[in-house]
Amino acid sequence: MTENEAVITLMLFRRTVRASAWVLLLIDLFVLVIWAAGGRGSFWPVWVWLPTGLAIASAWWARKATSRFARQAGEAVLISLFLVGIWAAAGRGSFWPVWPIAVLALVFGLEAVTRRKKSDARVEELTQSRAGAVEAAETQLRRIERDLHDGAQARLVALGMNIGLAEQQLGKDPAKAQEHLAEARKAAGAALQELRDLARGIHPPILADRGLEAAIRALGTNAAVPVSVDVKLDERPPATVETAAYFVAAEGLANALKHAQASRIDIAVHEREDAVVVRVLDDGRGGVSEAGGGLHGLRQRVEALDGSLRIASPDGGPTVIEAVLPCGR
Amino acid sequence: MRAVIAEDLALLRDGLMRLLRDNEIEVVGAVGDGDALVHAVLRERPDIAIVDIRMPPTFRDEGLRAALTLRERVPDTAILIISQYVEGTYARELLADGRGGVGYLLKDRVMDVNAFVEAVRRVAEGGTALDPEVVAHFVGRRDRLAALTPREKEVLALMAEGRSNAGIAEALVLTVGAVEKHVASILQKLGLPPSEETHRRVLAVLAYLDSSA
Repeated sequence: MTENEAVITLMLFRRTVRASAWVLLLIDLFVLVIWAAGGRGSFWPVWVWLPTGLAIASAWWARKATSRFARQAGEAVLISLFLVGIWAAAGRGSFWPVWPIAVLALVFGLEAVTRRKKSDARVEELTQSRAGAVEAAETQLRRIERDLHDGAQARLVALGMNIGLAEQQLGKDPAKAQEHLAEARKAAGAALQELRDLARGIHPPILADRGLEAAIRALGTNAAVPVSVDVKLDERPPATVETAAYFVAAEGLANALKHAQASRIDIAVHEREDAVVVRVLDDGRGGVSEAGGGLHGLRQRVEALDGSLRIASPDGGPTVIEAVLPCGR
Repeated sequence: MRAVIAEDLALLRDGLMRLLRDNEIEVVGAVGDGDALVHAVLRERPDIAIVDIRMPPTFRDEGLRAALTLRERVPDTAILIISQYVEGTYARELLADGRGGVGYLLKDRVMDVNAFVEAVRRVAEGGTALDPEVVAHFVGRRDRLAALTPREKEVLALMAEGRSNAGIAEALVLTVGAVEKHVASILQKLGLPPSEETHRRVLAVLAYLDSSA
């Protein structure tokens, strides 16, 4: 069923429930009239009212409840009232509804406790991942500022200085002026290169243009070690997930190339339920440490998206870095 | 003239050395951090130290701190700060002792080699050279300059950069006499006594701006 069909079905269902609620009310009124006309003996319409009342109330509550838990809890309360109603209508006697009600209360009590625990843990997790995300962004910004300051900005100053010197020397010493101009051209080229690298570090253009597979393949082409890339995705993940997946591959690859002394590296990307899984495997010497390095930043990046990062790297290898990135679809 | 350079990026340090040497300024030391700068200056006693603000190990303002140390220990050595950004606060700290022989320029200014060399010489001789961006930082935001005419504001900005009356006249295409009149009017409107020395005027102006902050 597509999303649209599901929405339409739900709307029809709601309309039917609303319509049938009115029908049920009419029926209730009708039996009351019959009872009144029939000489008002024992009040038998109650046996019609109880089940229809339950149906009407639970339909109303189903619309009103804001969560699955609230709906189910509300239904349990309604069922309990229904049972008490039957007990009262059936001439009271020993209060047997206590047993089913106790069972319902027990089930929902337990459910409430686990939910509370889960939501506390979730709050803790979100608080941490949010702080991590803020820190990761801050680190990233500082790095960019430093790269600009020491890289492109400095090169542009050198470029301008060389042009200035050439200008000054032009009349006096043309050979020297030419030297300065050659330096200036080099500085311009280097500044462009720095800016390109910086831009790629923020968001690689090929990722935007061609998607994850092409971008990851591009990462592998210049590596000194053979890199196999296997991407199996039915559709393009959301942009944030795609970027994070790319950086998992990039950082994992950089890590393997720098430290692992690996002879081959495998990068695999596939879908698992509603998540993208990125796995970087190398056959190197293992013993990867997360402290302080790029992998720590990577973890923050992944956890900011509610994902998880697993690093398994026993001494002697192999090393597996795996990120699971929920798509939230 | 003898100079010490403190700049951590080799690319710019080498470029600056070449630029100064091409213009008959002897470079007697080229260092890459604040401590090395203090040592080099104490050893060489140059006429001027040309100092980058951001240097190792913390990459914050160690160049400026080293410069302030030098202002105390060897007041005769002129300091020209060069940086990729300008901060009004830093300019105030440099000027706080009320003496000349200081400058604060954006690194961009090295592109105009002649003007840069002129600024180096002016500072070394006890004058001042403040980057137009630093000056704009002060002049642009002060309500109490409201009494000045637009022309007087222009003159004030050029004054703060360290230009002489003749320099201002040249920049604004005015006669020196007209500039003198503007300067007298500015100093009077700001309640400052007239003075002959360029850097004193700058310091007075900045002191005024600072106290009104």
